[in-house]
Amino acid sequence: MKRKVISMLLCATMAVSMVGCGGGSNDAPASTPAESDAPASDGAEAPADGGAASGGGALEAFTPADGSPVAVNSIYKPAADPSDWTIAVVVKDSSNGWFVRMEEGVKQFASDYGINAYQKGPVATDAAQQVEVIENQINQDIDAICVVPVDPATCDTVLQDAKDKGIKVICHEGSSANCDIDLEAFSNAGYGAYIMDNLAEAMGEEGTYVTMVAHLTNASQNEWADGAVARAEEAYPNLVNLEASPRVESENNSERAYEVAKEVLKTYPEVKGFVGTSSMDTPGIARAIDELGLNGKVFVCGTGMPNECRELIKSGSIHSAQLWDPAEAGYAMCVMATMMLDGQTIGAGTDLGLASYSDMIVNADNSNVVEGAGWISLKADNVDNYNF
Amino acid sequence: MNNKTKKILHSSEFYVGVIIVLFCLLIQMRSGQFFTGNNLVDIIRSFTIPVMFCVGELMVLISGGVDCSFPAIASLSMFVVCKYMENVTTNPLPFFIVAALIGLVFGILNGVIIGKYRFPALIVTLGTSSICWGVMQGVFQSREYPLCPTLLAVGKAKLLTATNAETGLSSDLPMITVFMILLLLLGWFILNKTMLGRGIYAIGGDIIAAKRAGFNVFGTTVFIYAFSGMMAGIIGVFRACMLQAVHPNNLEGLEMTAIAACVLGGVSITGGKGTVLQACLGMLLLTIVSNSLILLGISTHWQNVVTGLIIIAGTAATAIQNQRNAKKLAVKLTES
Repeated sequence: MKRKVISMLLCATMAVSMVGCGGGSNDAPASTPAESDAPASDGAEAPADGGAASGGGALEAFTPADGSPVAVNSIYKPAADPSDWTIAVVVKDSSNGWFVRMEEGVKQFASDYGINAYQKGPVATDAAQQVEVIENQINQDIDAICVVPVDPATCDTVLQDAKDKGIKVICHEGSSANCDIDLEAFSNAGYGAYIMDNLAEAMGEEGTYVTMVAHLTNASQNEWADGAVARAEEAYPNLVNLEASPRVESENNSERAYEVAKEVLKTYPEVKGFVGTSSMDTPGIARAIDELGLNGKVFVCGTGMPNECRELIKSGSIHSAQLWDPAEAGYAMCVMATMMLDGQTIGAGTDLGLASYSDMIVNADNSNVVEGAGWISLKADNVDNYNF
Repeated sequence: MNNKTKKILHSSEFYVGVIIVLFCLLIQMRSGQFFTGNNLVDIIRSFTIPVMFCVGELMVLISGGVDCSFPAIASLSMFVVCKYMENVTTNPLPFFIVAALIGLVFGILNGVIIGKYRFPALIVTLGTSSICWGVMQGVFQSREYPLCPTLLAVGKAKLLTATNAETGLSSDLPMITVFMILLLLLGWFILNKTMLGRGIYAIGGDIIAAKRAGFNVFGTTVFIYAFSGMMAGIIGVFRACMLQAVHPNNLEGLEMTAIAACVLGGVSITGGKGTVLQACLGMLLLTIVSNSLILLGISTHWQNVVTGLIIIAGTAATAIQNQRNAKKLAVKLTES
């Protein structure tokens, strides 16, 4: 509590219009309710409208697309000494390799910026346990909380409590209706295009390819596949999506992906490339390519986890696996939290201090979601840097 | 017509077999690739794991029950041994033994509850299934996990490689297929050549009659579920070997496939009737369908529709034949 009081006093001495702190009226007046990919949170609740803005003393309205990039190094005004800020990152599962990697990013941020930032999470991926962890954190006098929700809708209430206490709330990989802003690593179309760029490189920019999704009804994966196809049409005129069977289903099962890839290659020998979207697709297709003796003739690029794809990448069955680096996402979330604490507007063009998050874009359908370009490509030479 | 041909013509297996052959010929005509070595190997490979589950499910169905828990039991056993034993030994055998024991424990749990208290098998096994998924996720923190080299070698071991001279594509027949054949033979042996097997049919026909005839109903019930659970444990590890990775949720939903395959082949869902051959034919039809729709040139949007139509056609063939047989039985009884 003490720290907060001091920072409030500092705010006051800076004499920006202070309207008083305590009572939890601090939200963005104009933000639309969060709407994420997750069907659980349909965002039906109206946004909490706090009216008078307070807290850091500056109005933070998430009106998107003001277009003016904000320089990171300008954010630390002596108004509130950033070294007094505390940022908590709450992940789905503290032991999961993905989030162990994310913690590296959070720690890196803490040492780069000299701000107290740390990561917590339940011992198992469990929505109820995660809510408990969040509750513990918001009772500990933190200034911002970054949440990777297990189930966005389950977090709605506790995140509202956080906002009522004047804590900035950031979500990642799925947004609660009550988060101030949702940071996503990339736009779906952009990620698809990135996969296609890699596949085009592998295929020598010519040949026939097929896209694979878990199910034709899966929203984000189909958007990735659409993005890949759009990119090929726009940039690689000699890459053709197989007409007879442009998109196949893996049922999110690596064995099924293997079987389907084999069948496609038997039926349509002209196919030279696969776009895998589910992390089950890519290794499954690669096993098929390997077993059919088509290494170096048929290529697969797509979402893949380092541990699962490591051997297949090294043996050459997978040209490259794409994903986003959780460490970068953790870092970017913390940077975003500091910018919000400093009262800056997050919107189109915001620079979060990392190359892949240096020109954020606002989601066209949901202005509460900002997206980076945080994709990475795993190849034989860098896959050993990742362990999850 | 001699008696033997008559018997064959009147069996439901015959009609499922006819449908399979017709379907294969259709695929061959459209793609010219069905009867190629590599395609047949692909089908056998894809058939291996599901049909092994059918053996346990078949016994349970014949006894008048149903087992929905084997995918969960298999996944739990698979995950536990693959995660915790990878540095213990380089001999694959202990992996399978421990997995079998884990499966056995849950199988006995199913069997004792169902045998002793006569609770509905569907609900009990759904409960066990839920417990297994929960334990796997909560206690053992399940997630995708790389497979240890010992089991990787088991998965990569192959009986033969079939290469298509025309296209140059090749397919490996995994060594695991041998275990599948042994398991099918074991299932056939238990059901047809042992008193235990007769007891399974007797319980499924009429539990009170079976008791009066002197069958140990409780013991037999426990055996059926224990066998199903134990095999599930072993098959789970085989699945990981074939996937060359540990995917905890890979088997989810396979219980419906196994039940559907048995019923499609002519196994009675109310108990008392069914053979290993019927279960195999049912699973073979499902496997061929799911691995041939792209060969047939059917677009992804329509594949589910076509699958549904073929399943209904297959079930109709066995159902009509069963009804005919039942009518004949009724006539004979009134005549005598």
